Amino acid sequence: MSIPPISTVASGATSLRPERMATAGSGTGDGFGDLVTSALNNVSATQNNADQLANKAAVGQLSDPHEYMIAATEASLATELTVAVRNRAVEAFNDIMRMTV
Amino acid sequence: MTMFAALGVSASGLRAFRSWLDSVSDNLSNLNTVRPMNEAAYQARYVQATADPAGGVMVTAVRFGDPTGVVVSDPTNPLADANGFVRRPDIDMNEQMTSLLIAQRGYQANIAAVERVRDAYQQALTIGK
Repeated sequence: MSIPPISTVASGATSLRPERMATAGSGTGDGFGDLVTSALNNVSATQNNADQLANKAAVGQLSDPHEYMIAATEASLATELTVAVRNRAVEAFNDIMRMTV
Repeated sequence: MTMFAALGVSASGLRAFRSWLDSVSDNLSNLNTVRPMNEAAYQARYVQATADPAGGVMVTAVRFGDPTGVVVSDPTNPLADANGFVRRPDIDMNEQMTSLLIAQRGYQANIAAVERVRDAYQQALTIGK
């Protein structure tokens, strides 16, 4: 079973980002797209780490069982956090779109 | 590691207690290891833990017990010297069993910490829902 890494999705996220967002944002110039991209990259890294440890466990090279469990917990928490942030952003977007002009 | 720092700290605790468990098991398994007089007795292993300035704990060294061991008279032992002496390891079983209990409880405590931290982070994600 192979799941495509999130990094491919993350690279697409930057192209989705409207250019005006970066300029309209705060003085730092980081738009929401950049934020999501870096968060997704972070999630991808933690999941890669968990995957490598899972592989090690499968081939019997894992010396500490807790290493995998913690990496898996970290990966799942990072994913949940990113999804929560995304949901909030979509919610905010929908609220604005529903606004009567 | 910066994002979920508490998990990393607990992981280092688990690692330290696991190596302590390893050394205690090693000591207990060698409780009856007899060596001849011209060799060092089995030396008990003790892990040395040091607090990590960045958070957590690390095992910095493994210390070894007395190589003299306990010299006992056992003339029937094939390893005995001309005077009938052999070296037995200088390991106190009571001490090792106590260490085993502490190490096991410490490992469990760190696992409990991991679970609480995970629950706390998950609760944080539900803020405002």
